[in-house]
Amino acid sequence: MADIGRVRIRIPPSIKPGDIVKVRVLVIHPMEGVQRKDGKPVDKNYHFINRVIVSYLDKEIGQFETTQSISENPFFTFAFKASEPGLLRVSFLDTHGGKYEGTADIKFS
Amino acid sequence: MDRRLGESGITRRTLLRALGALGLGGLVGPALGARRPAWAQGNLAGLGPEEPVDATMKRLFGGRPIKDGASKIKLDVPLIAENGAVVPVSVEVNAPMTPQNYVKAVYIISDKNRRPLNAKFNLTPAMGQAYVGTNMRLGESTDVRAIAEMNDGSLLQAKREVKVTVGGCGG
Repeated sequence: MADIGRVRIRIPPSIKPGDIVKVRVLVIHPMEGVQRKDGKPVDKNYHFINRVIVSYLDKEIGQFETTQSISENPFFTFAFKASEPGLLRVSFLDTHGGKYEGTADIKFS
Repeated sequence: MDRRLGESGITRRTLLRALGALGLGGLVGPALGARRPAWAQGNLAGLGPEEPVDATMKRLFGGRPIKDGASKIKLDVPLIAENGAVVPVSVEVNAPMTPQNYVKAVYIISDKNRRPLNAKFNLTPAMGQAYVGTNMRLGESTDVRAIAEMNDGSLLQAKREVKVTVGGCGG
């Protein structure tokens, strides 16, 4: 799990001002599911991402609340409106206090 | 260290309840609410409860009416998912996404999962389009619902059945 927290963001190769851009984000993370013993769930601090924060031009535009019923190495898609060139940042917060970030530079061509 | 706190039975919920009884909840609540300490989050108490889907719907939406939104919501899931551990899902809601009329949140709920709520996506008008997608886990063949909460509080729902060949929740 050396790769844990590696984030990859894919944006379309060319973006025009005002475009609605579809973004794909992938993060390497185990997203531990609940374990059971004798039919009962085991109580421990499961390691999974429970919050994804999307910000653009330093303004938060979306926040996703996720659970362990999201697959391992979670993948998200979303859209945003590219109004100005700037930084798109996606942060992932997990239950063990980890914070992983990926950024994409939005440039117009 | 985190283990010890968890096993002593002090969860954020019981702590807040006790403090609330003393009238201190307001003081501690914001501090705990924004950045919860890492030890509390992944424990069972921090997860959604195991419950049937009706209880989830009641917990999330109370008794608010849910309209059929099949014409406005495009819920894209496979008919047959061979591997329940990775089921792609995407939801697109036909809404103008202006500050006057936008989708505030999209919920993805799978009826037969032990914890039915898969994810909640909070959106803002800056996103320009209500489009979200992810990969989810499904324990068995189930109905999957996408529920869109509009900024005026109205709820729309679309539902599709997914047949799962191998469950993805590991027992």
